[in-house]
Amino acid sequence: MSSIDRAPNLHIESLYCEHHGWLHGWLNRKLGNASDAADLAHDTFIRLLSKPARSFGSEPRALLTHIAKGLVVDRWRRQDVERAYLESIAHLPEAEVPSPETRWLILEALQRIDNMLREMPERARQTFLLSQIDGLTYGQIAEQLGVSLITVKRDMREAFLACLSVA
Amino acid sequence: MNPQIDPLILGEAADWLVQLQSGAATEADHRAVQLWRNRSPQHALAWQRAEALLGDLRAVPGSVANDTFQRLRHNTRVGRRQALHRLGVFLLAGPAVWVAARELPWQQWSADQRTAIGEQKHLTLPDGTQLLINTGSALNIAFSREERRIRLLEGEVLITTAKDPARSFIVETRHGTARALGTRFSVRVGEQSSQVAVTEGAVEMLPQQGGQGLILKAGEQGGFSRDSTAPVQPLDGAALTWEQGMLVARNMRLADLLNELGRYRPGVLRCHAGVAGLSVSGAFPLHDTDASLRLLQDTLPIRVSSLTRYWVAVEPR
Repeated sequence: MSSIDRAPNLHIESLYCEHHGWLHGWLNRKLGNASDAADLAHDTFIRLLSKPARSFGSEPRALLTHIAKGLVVDRWRRQDVERAYLESIAHLPEAEVPSPETRWLILEALQRIDNMLREMPERARQTFLLSQIDGLTYGQIAEQLGVSLITVKRDMREAFLACLSVA
Repeated sequence: MNPQIDPLILGEAADWLVQLQSGAATEADHRAVQLWRNRSPQHALAWQRAEALLGDLRAVPGSVANDTFQRLRHNTRVGRRQALHRLGVFLLAGPAVWVAARELPWQQWSADQRTAIGEQKHLTLPDGTQLLINTGSALNIAFSREERRIRLLEGEVLITTAKDPARSFIVETRHGTARALGTRFSVRVGEQSSQVAVTEGAVEMLPQQGGQGLILKAGEQGGFSRDSTAPVQPLDGAALTWEQGMLVARNMRLADLLNELGRYRPGVLRCHAGVAGLSVSGAFPLHDTDASLRLLQDTLPIRVSSLTRYWVAVEPR
């Protein structure tokens, strides 16, 4: 590794030493749970590390809390998805309940899909769900939504593009 | 983090996805996609994403996905906007709109309660009774003028009842009922039987299909199946340490310990037969089962290997 590559990491290290304790405390106050706070404090620095090298400015704590807030909200959302999913399979007949092995693969896939749906405009999302979840053909969707086939394709393209941009 | 891909290339990948799913895709289209993806590493990467996306969509049964997103729409505790608000962030204009526009505040009281794997939830009922619902549990609350009844469908609950001489307090499982006689106790429902531990007052266990009822007093624990009760035993202090977020083991088989830890983490936690019988003593944090596994790895001749966070195997070193 060249010294140029190392520089941002050194910077991160000093940032970590100076602010990790503070960030952990801040998260703990927001979440009321020390181990979740430790998790997210850790993830915040990982997120920072993965960013292209940059200066952290004169207010590193503002940047840290900005990232941490996004992570907290994402975590809540993932928990919401998990809860909704568990409720959903709790109502299935026993024969249709996924095995423990596949159950978590499905949950992870659902969480990724949910994350993608957030980036889609309303009509594209609706079209996407009808196509990918309900299994309707583009023709059937056009009929159901009362739009042209071209519009369905345009919305599907937009939806796919949103998915690929998030991934 | 994921590498950046040229948005133009992503747009072309989206075009191909639409074409392949249009119902009008030909053999020539499939061949053309193969050529397209070989044009550059970025093209290949973009198509990898496309295939991962299709994989995710295939992995989820349509009915489950449908139902889950429906529930999310009605059941989300907070929208992103409210969540950020709660964190002290004010959005001027948010381009990222949450899936549902109309979300209910999660404080809204509901009779059906559920905890996710690894989650513990405190709940105060209208009569003042306190519930601490343990990991991976589901219960329904049915209060009437005559009685207070909790149906424990899955998992475990610790109950501190509020005094109400007029209405008895009953926990019902698939195996029968436990009736509280002014008390603090926990009920855990398993495959074959339900376990009851009493720290204050007393609880009467009644198997579903008649059989003899049995009263447990403070400092005792016992169990019941559909048609019988198990003999009373002195309360094992470790039985209720989950309330403090700890699992306390005294000469516990490793397989049993992992089984117990597994209740608090999503996914599969496998124990190799060669180490299942190892004897373990110690205190293990339940809120951070990764740390618990590291602790085990540091103190026992075992290796913890994980394919993903959801697939962990404990093997001989």
